[in-house]
Parts: sequence; C-alpha cells; structure tokens
Amino acid sequence: MSSIHVAKPDLSEANVRLGSAAMGVQQGAGLVGIIGLVASAVIGFGGMFGTTPTFLMKSWTQNYMFVLAISLGALFFVFIQHLTRAGWSTTVRRPAELIAANLKWAWVGLIPFAALWLSGGGHVEGGDGAHSHWGPGVLFPWADLEALKAHHPAEYDIVAAKSAYLNSTFFWIRAIIYVTFWGVVSTWFLRTSIAQDATGDIRLTEKMQKWSGPVAIGFGLTVTFAAFDWIMSLSPAWFSTMFGVYFFCGCCTCGFSVLIISVLRLQSVGRLKQVVNREHYQDMGKLLFAFGMIFWAYIGFSQYMLIWYANIPEETGWFLGRQIGGWGTLSFVLLFGHFVVPFVALISKWTKRLSWYLLAAAIWMLFFGWFDLYWLIMPEVPADAMTAKTYMEVVEAHADASTHIFNPLNYTMLAGVGGIYLWMTIRRMRASTLLALRDPRLHEGLAFENQ
Amino acid sequence: MTTLETSVPTVDPADSSDDAVKLHGLLAEFESPGEVLKAAEQVRKAGYRWWDCCTPFPVHGLDGAMGIKPTILPIMVFFAGLTGLMAAFILQAFTNSSGMTVWAMVWVTGYPYLISGKPLLSIPAFIPVMFELTILFAALTCVFGMFTMNGLPRLHHPLLGNDRFRRVTDDRFYIVIEARDPKFFRTRTEAFLESLGAVAVEEVQD
Repeated sequence: MSSIHVAKPDLSEANVRLGSAAMGVQQGAGLVGIIGLVASAVIGFGGMFGTTPTFLMKSWTQNYMFVLAISLGALFFVFIQHLTRAGWSTTVRRPAELIAANLKWAWVGLIPFAALWLSGGGHVEGGDGAHSHWGPGVLFPWADLEALKAHHPAEYDIVAAKSAYLNSTFFWIRAIIYVTFWGVVSTWFLRTSIAQDATGDIRLTEKMQKWSGPVAIGFGLTVTFAAFDWIMSLSPAWFSTMFGVYFFCGCCTCGFSVLIISVLRLQSVGRLKQVVNREHYQDMGKLLFAFGMIFWAYIGFSQYMLIWYANIPEETGWFLGRQIGGWGTLSFVLLFGHFVVPFVALISKWTKRLSWYLLAAAIWMLFFGWFDLYWLIMPEVPADAMTAKTYMEVVEAHADASTHIFNPLNYTMLAGVGGIYLWMTIRRMRASTLLALRDPRLHEGLAFENQ
Repeated sequence: MTTLETSVPTVDPADSSDDAVKLHGLLAEFESPGEVLKAAEQVRKAGYRWWDCCTPFPVHGLDGAMGIKPTILPIMVFFAGLTGLMAAFILQAFTNSSGMTVWAMVWVTGYPYLISGKPLLSIPAFIPVMFELTILFAALTCVFGMFTMNGLPRLHHPLLGNDRFRRVTDDRFYIVIEARDPKFFRTRTEAFLESLGAVAVEEVQD
C-alpha cells in the first residue's frame, strides 16, 4: 500500500467503537477475577498448600506489580510518542492511552499493604524467624526492625542504617505520590486525547507534547523509586542502583505485549480495520524487541555482572537466593524464555509483520514478564548468605530450596488480579473510541510505511 | 538499484553514431511521485532489468512497483554477528582459561589467568567482549556488505554529468534505463518512455 494509492480508511463508528462485541469476554474476565481472588483468599488465609502469610502477600505484590507494569509500559508508550512527535503511532495510541488510564486505580493495589500496617503493625514474635503473624514485617522486613534484630542480626545493622529512607511514614508518603502522579498523568492524557476527538484542536496535541517532557522525568523517578520500595525493599539489606531501570524494562515487556495483543484482538473482532496494518505491527514488534527483550537482558546482565565480579557478600546474597535449589533452574528458564528464545524468534522483519506470529510472541513475552516478577519478588535471601565461607556451602545447605512455582496460589492470584484488570480494560475500551480520530498526525499514521 | 547476476553487454543496432562517447542510457523525467510509480510498474512489466528510479525522497511503494527483491544483507549480518560471538568466546577461553599452544601465524600459548578467585572459564566475564565483537562484526559486515552490494564507493556516475538530472534533489522524478539492458533499443525505448507520460526523455552519455 502506498501513500499515493491509499484507500480512504473506514473511520465510521462501527470500525472505531467496540460496542458490545467484547461483552462476553469482559463479563467472563470479571467472573474469573472474582473467583480467582476468592480462591486466593481461601488458599492464602487458610494456609492451604503450605502457603504462609508472607507467601500470600508476596503473591499479591507480584501480581499487582504485573498489572502495574502493563499500565506503566502503556503510559511510557503514550508519552514517548508525544515526546518524539511520532506520526506512525497515532493509529495505535488510543488503546495504549486506555490501558494506561487503568493507573487511576493503581492505589487499590496498596490496600493489602495498608491492611498489613493496620493489622496491628506490630512486632512479630516468631520462633524461627518465619513470619506466621500478620503485620508489615510479613512482607517488608525493614518495617519490623525488632524481629529483624532478633532473627537476622547480620542484616539488621545494614537495614537499620537505611531507616532514614526505609521507614513506614516516608514509605506511605512516597507510595501516595507515585499512585497520584500516575493516576493524574494517565487520566490527563486520555481525557485530552478524547477531547480532541470532538474538537480536532491542534493545540491539545501541542499541550500534550509540551507536558510529556516533565512527565518523562516524573515517570522515570516514580517508577525507579516504586521499584525500590515495592520490590527491592523486600530484601532490604540488598541494593542495586540499576534496579529501577530493570523494572522499567519489565514495564516495557508487559505494556508493549498487552498493547500488541489488544490491537490484534480488536482487529480480529472487526475493529480498526484498514487503520492498523502490518507496518504498525512491525513497529510495535520492534519496540517490544528492543525495550522488552534486548534492553531487559542488557540491564539484567549489567546488574548481575557488577555484583558477580565485585563479589561482596551483602550484594551477592540476593543472587545467591536465586541460584540455590530450584531457583537455579528458574533463573535459566528466565534467561532463555525472556531473552534467548524470543531474540531469535523475533529478529527477522517478517516475524513482526505476521499477525498470528506476533500475537504468539506477545503472549509469550507477557508470560515471561510475569515470570520475571516472580523471580524478582518470591525468593528469600538465604540467612547464611553473609556468614558462609564459600558459595558452595550455601548451595549445599539449601539444595532442596523450593521455588513454589507450581503452587496453585500463584495462578489463582494471577487469574484474580489479571481477570479484574482485563475486565476493567475492556470496560474502558467500550466506553471510548479506539482511535484518536482527529489527531493532526493521523493521516501520517494511516499512510505509514517502513522503508 | 536493480541487480542482475550476469552483465550482458549489448550492441545497440539502432545506435548508428560512431562517436567515441558511449551511450549510458535514457533518462526520463516525471513530475510527480504518482507518475513515476505508475511508470515504474510499466517498465518492470516491459521486462527491463538494468534500470533504476531516482527521486528526491523515498516514494512509498516504489520498491514494490519496481519489483525489487528483499536484500540478503540481514542474513549476512546475522551470521557475521554469530561469528563475532563465537570468535570472542574462543579467543577469551583460549587466552585466559587454557594453557594450550597453537599455531596462529606464530606459536601462541594461552595464559590461565586467575582473577579474584573466579573460575578460569568464567563466562559472565566473557560476555561483554562477546557482545562487543558481535556488534563489531555485524556492523562492519552491514556497512561494507551494503557498499559492496551497491557497487560503492564509486567516484563518478554518468547521470551526475547530466544537467537535467540536477533537479532530482529538488522536485523531479526520474527513470533511467541503461543501454546495457538486453531489451534496450535506442528509439523503441525512447518511444516507450514517452508513452509512460515522461515530460522529457534524453540520452545520457557515459
């Protein structure tokens, strides 16, 4: 298709509105979500399948981070298009705006955290250091320094020195800043874009372009510190200055995958026909390939190599926890599943232009985005990591460390959080047009061609 | 640029001139991208193979209209990258992890080098170099492969001596059919180009 011979695309309501087409999926997702959450609560609070309060809370955190990463990735997509004044992406920007707008509800994910603090917030007395009572220490060891002192004295000294940052008050102030920023920004982009559908005012585009610079800075800071607070501080003695970028890559993996899946599914129910074509698939595939796969591996390896080379116990402990027992296998599954296999699978041009192939690749990457968060959140740093004399000593002592990857709670929680998220996303898509109809660059996007 | 495996030198029977100057081909000028696109399709259908389009900017769909096959450059780049990856691994494993002696122009011996208690064959330490050599081999293959396949560098091209052709950097679109094309006949090709809607057709001397 060429810019000269391009047929006038169909911009009628039937093509750019979802209508009732996805009603069944939406209701099904909502139902699966509720059942999943109830099942998770039953399993988690009932202690079935050997789950502990810590496991339940970590599972919640992992799945909350998963849906958060999807929306943050979509938000990144939206403002980076404005920042670069891109024309090609105008045809797929609205679905991204809609996915990002779910961030309005990001604060809901913090309720279980708040519940931990409200559940007594106190000091946990557990004989062996395993948290069997409720309190913030169940999830965040730094929030219960007395228990940490009693059970992990070596870690305590390091963590206590960080209490100027890692304390409950400041933690909650930061959390509120993050969710407020994301909610306001994503809603503003969606509303401004929808307002343009009615007026076609070019100044709205200029306004979004102007503000996407400051938004990029705010996004970078909030995502970095949210990753520090909600993932890295689960092992509070450990730190990596690269961690925020690593999580940002995870956001790109999840967000771009979901954007690709959404657009392809919308087309398969007969929407956005003649609007989105192989040229756009290829570019979305490129973004997923570059940010979600290669940049992820680059950052992941850079983080690993510095720590591996320096070989300082307080830093290596975190990776040690991901190499003992079953975690060693899972680390290799992550390396191959998140990088090596998809790298080969998506490197050629044709692979990104073939809708069924790209759909399969996006679903694969979305799963590994979830798996990556499991790998980040679930493992415990072994207690003897800082005192053991050799690497092999720790490995042998924890040879039977279980990853719990097949624990049903992982999947009921995914179904619960993911189902509710899908329900919310489809509901949002049905309430709006699926295309920024009067974007001044829409004609560029429609005629776009990779050269 | 169209490519043909074998070069077919042609003596043009219609070319009666006995000048020392050799005919490079015929240059046809078009006024819009749409016209050049349609004309290119006709030239391809007419079976010409040594011809090209010259435009001030990339015209979408022109590759398809000209029937240009996808380049094999990416495949070359991929295998060059793979070669770089393996070369870097072998280089480091040999020099840092083995005490082997091999002949590579001169006799060289590996030096098992123990650094901060790491195993001799420490793959994480090798990865940065493997990455760099992958990029280096791939990038050099990409640049020089592109040069070779395009016949570059080239100091002069007959078209650059043509005054009419100067507007290719501004607002005109050109199709050039070279004289070495087996289907090229001086008068017939000129008539053909004119029939495609060219505003001007003229000879280009070598």
